[in-house]
Amino acid sequence: MNFHTSWKSTLIASATALCLSTSVFAETLRYATVGEPPSLDQQVITSDLATTIAHHMFEGLYTFDASNSPVGLLASGERVEDGGKTIVISLREGVKFHNGEDMTSKDVLASLKRWGEFGSRGSLIFSNVESVDATGEYEITIKMKEPFGPWKNLMAFINGGPAIYPASVLEDATKEPLSPDKYIGTGPYKFSEWKPNRHVELKRFDDYKSADGAADGYAGKREATIDTLRFIPVPDVGTRVSGLKAGDYDYAESIPGDLFDDLDADANVTTILNGGPIFWLVFMNSKEGPLKENFALRRAMQAAINKTPALQVAIGPDKLWRANGSFLPEGNVWHTKSGTDNFSKGDAAGAKKLAEEAGYKGDPIKVMVSTNYAFHYDTAVVYTKQLAKAGFNIDLQVYDWATLIKKRAQPDQWDLFFTHHGFVPDPILISVMNDNYPGWWATPEKAALKAKFTASSDPKERKAIWNDIQALIYDQVPTMKTGDVYTYNIASPKLKGLSSSTLIWPHFWNVSK
Amino acid sequence: MLAFTIKRILATVPTLIAASMLIFLFIHLIPGDPAAILLGDTATPEEIAVLTKQMGLDQPVYVQYLKWLTNLLQGDLGTSIFFQVPVLSVIADGAETSGFLALMTMIWIIVLGIPIGAIAATKHGTWIDQITSGAAMFAASVPTFWLGLYLILIFAVGLGWLPSSGYPSIFEEGGLANLRYLLLPSLTLAAPNAALIIRLVRASMLDVQREDYVRTARSKGLHPVRVAYKHVFRNALIAVAAAFGFTFAALVSEAVVTETVFSLPGIGRTVVQSILRRDYPVIQGVILVIVVLYMVVNLLVDLAYSWLDPRVSLK
Amino acid sequence: MMVRETPILETEKTRFLSNLLLPFRGRILASIGLAWLVLMAFFAIFAPWITPYDPLAIEPVARLTEPGATHFFGTDHFGRDTFSRCIYGARMALLIGLGTVFVSLTVGGFIGMVSAYFTRIGSVLMRVVDVLMAFPALLLALVLMTLFERSVINTIIVIGIVYTTTTARILYGMVLKLKNEVFVDAAICSGVGHTSILLRHILPNLISPLLVQASFIFAFAQLQAAALDFLGLGLPPEIPSWGNMLSESRIYVTRASWLLIYPGLLIILSVFSMNLVGDAARDSLDPRFKDDIAGV
Repeated sequence: MNFHTSWKSTLIASATALCLSTSVFAETLRYATVGEPPSLDQQVITSDLATTIAHHMFEGLYTFDASNSPVGLLASGERVEDGGKTIVISLREGVKFHNGEDMTSKDVLASLKRWGEFGSRGSLIFSNVESVDATGEYEITIKMKEPFGPWKNLMAFINGGPAIYPASVLEDATKEPLSPDKYIGTGPYKFSEWKPNRHVELKRFDDYKSADGAADGYAGKREATIDTLRFIPVPDVGTRVSGLKAGDYDYAESIPGDLFDDLDADANVTTILNGGPIFWLVFMNSKEGPLKENFALRRAMQAAINKTPALQVAIGPDKLWRANGSFLPEGNVWHTKSGTDNFSKGDAAGAKKLAEEAGYKGDPIKVMVSTNYAFHYDTAVVYTKQLAKAGFNIDLQVYDWATLIKKRAQPDQWDLFFTHHGFVPDPILISVMNDNYPGWWATPEKAALKAKFTASSDPKERKAIWNDIQALIYDQVPTMKTGDVYTYNIASPKLKGLSSSTLIWPHFWNVSK
Repeated sequence: MLAFTIKRILATVPTLIAASMLIFLFIHLIPGDPAAILLGDTATPEEIAVLTKQMGLDQPVYVQYLKWLTNLLQGDLGTSIFFQVPVLSVIADGAETSGFLALMTMIWIIVLGIPIGAIAATKHGTWIDQITSGAAMFAASVPTFWLGLYLILIFAVGLGWLPSSGYPSIFEEGGLANLRYLLLPSLTLAAPNAALIIRLVRASMLDVQREDYVRTARSKGLHPVRVAYKHVFRNALIAVAAAFGFTFAALVSEAVVTETVFSLPGIGRTVVQSILRRDYPVIQGVILVIVVLYMVVNLLVDLAYSWLDPRVSLK
Repeated sequence: MMVRETPILETEKTRFLSNLLLPFRGRILASIGLAWLVLMAFFAIFAPWITPYDPLAIEPVARLTEPGATHFFGTDHFGRDTFSRCIYGARMALLIGLGTVFVSLTVGGFIGMVSAYFTRIGSVLMRVVDVLMAFPALLLALVLMTLFERSVINTIIVIGIVYTTTTARILYGMVLKLKNEVFVDAAICSGVGHTSILLRHILPNLISPLLVQASFIFAFAQLQAAALDFLGLGLPPEIPSWGNMLSESRIYVTRASWLLIYPGLLIILSVFSMNLVGDAARDSLDPRFKDDIAGV
């Protein structure tokens, strides 16, 4: 009896749901992600996946336009005084948080303070900040110890950056990411629900107040047309592709290069190239082991490697990669050929000689790589062969990513490890610039150049210093860059308003279905 | 019957405690740090240490175990490090998917396994018997993930008849029709296990056919097909009940792979992903629940066995 | 008084070899299966002389070549020859299969026999087996493989543990049955030592059922290893095994279908053959033990 009634009510419920759904269904965007983001708290999390979702909810004071220049988002303008030591930022008025509160300088102050103390990239700027104050209801004043060139780029970079939260959710906020009930921002979409393993769902925020001006990159007008954005974890890449083809997803990210030509030719699939390339890095241990301070030996290893086969094997189509030694890509203001003569020699005999001169006696060199990223592993296989040919005794150790992260924090466990790096608008954000990043590159030469680099706010001067830093990287080899990889995503042709390429993270405001 | 049941339940308690310690120890021995995964690639060791301490993961393993056990006895499985929600709700959410997946798999197994096994037994020794038995064994020889990949390719991408992956809850838009998302996964999961049931049904029916009471029924002039189905079916069910007991663990194992291939938000994939994220509370919770389920299923199988077959006495 | 060895033992000994092949008389499918396994073993042993290429040699310009005259089974995304890798894969399959059989039969056999014979130790040991059996095989393997490094030996041990428990259970049941038989009682009465009874009187009776069990373990181990490889927690990725080949190439299911078809079919054929052989052998077993052997 009981069984029957419950069965009936389920049927009725689902029938009603079916009727109701017809209007809702059409306006849900289903985005197949590579996995689950660790948290959406933008201030402390640097996962690109987290930002892809979260930058629809959270906004910073600045953002990037299509040419990667920082422009105001929640800020309406700024004055730089005192030779670059004082920055006065005025805020847009009438901006509402998702909880209905007005955004004022007290929220910005609380957000900047938490970011400065606990944020992933906050210390880059705040180690140099003397004070932050709310100097008006819609005005914030930052006082620097020294002039700090890249401040605006850092403020505009939302990934691990200063997203503006209401002061009310930040009361005891620390390093621990905020819990989902505190996901309150000013963006065109608001947080709806996070069902573990199922989806993260965002809903349109009806009281959104957009910035003025035509849409340009992430800047300008933002309009949420689609009601619901649903980010669904689909870790298996084959399933992401077949799911999009079968119409189960509208958008799918991180698709293997080798499928590009077929998918590009498929009328049922739109391919979208990412404008900012990612690059792969191999870090060398500067703290312990045979590579410590032996720059000659590192240069020998660098000379043994030809990067092109690694890129061919791991990616495929020529269109999707460049064997580019500059840390920032061609066309970018920071692009430079400085030092790149040594980028990809692939000279086994020469390398062998260099290694002998550097005193290498065939000791094993421990290389760590993870198979969680196929391209890390593919690159490692190619490099290992090339290094072996030049007489290096390579001990390749394969771990899962979590184990690798743990092991790389222990300097006695490794000599080389593989990772990758997302596109960043300012070289100061590249991980090798951080003295504490595993590898621990912190030579006096680096320290001197880095100090000059952050102190200057003259673009021309900063560019010249960066050229020197890149040359130093090719000389001391704290890390080796493999090349630029233009990843791509795929979408259903039903989506309208998608730009032909994304800057860094795809966005779905100004997109309709 | 009641005394037997109680005795059986009590007997599982020490096994459970031993299992819980084993789970905890294994999982905390795995190298890796949830804080490091949470904070991402650019986090410095100092930042990771701060978060590790905040999450209480810097305490000795036995302290963490006792804390976990105390909470467990109060029905609290802890909080997911990664999702920051109670482990119980993570499991409950996965349980809908895995539950329906298991149910539909069982239906496939019964619908395919029993009749085919019965036909093979009644046509014992003929080419029909040979072909069905051979085909069943072949199905059991196909790797689950390989079968799943090709089913998606044929039925979802090629023909477009069924969804390729994922599973929206039946409580969401679409309602019960959402169960179609589980058709391909359940078929994938049923294929290797149906073979086992086919063999068991066939064997048990052949055994029973030789027994006296069936021979008597036949000699009374009852139609052989009727004899086969009436007398023999009950015994076939016994075989199936027993088989569920020991296929349960196999089903869970294969579900891990199936849920991964079809991107189903079930318990199996949750475990795999949680291991990669070192989300200790979730791994512990899920494995504990699976172990308890395994014991419950085996208890039920024993009880069902005695209910279906009066010849088995409860000792 | 001398105790004569029992008749059962004599027939077991004298007819051992012919018994081994007896199950295949008149069973075409099982015979084909056996033939395939022999062929596989041949490939595995003589792999270096059969393969046209080094299975690890990288050739980026020849990547994703379709099957043809130069590469029978095509090449993968490294430009490695799939045919050569498949042949070497047979080697891995054989190694994993035999390794798992060895681990589970020796350890599981020992636990099962000792537990059934010495009931006091047995009750404790079988409890431990119970605990381990409550963990689903693949989850146990997943946790253990994350705990240890990926290597051939660890994969064998991890899969071996899983079947050790099953084998222990089965042997436990069979030895309990045998313990009550007349010939064991006779041996005990005559004052023969425990070890001698276990090894000389009980074990020989178990050899045939153990061989049948071994064939099923071999088959299951292939599937289990492939599943672990698929989840990225099995053999080290640089080793050419069929599971690793599938795992590495699954994104090419539409782009380069040969990368999934050939290793997939090889796994299916090997497992199917082993199951056929095991099934045939089981049918000719002593009826007392027939139901004890799990399998397909």
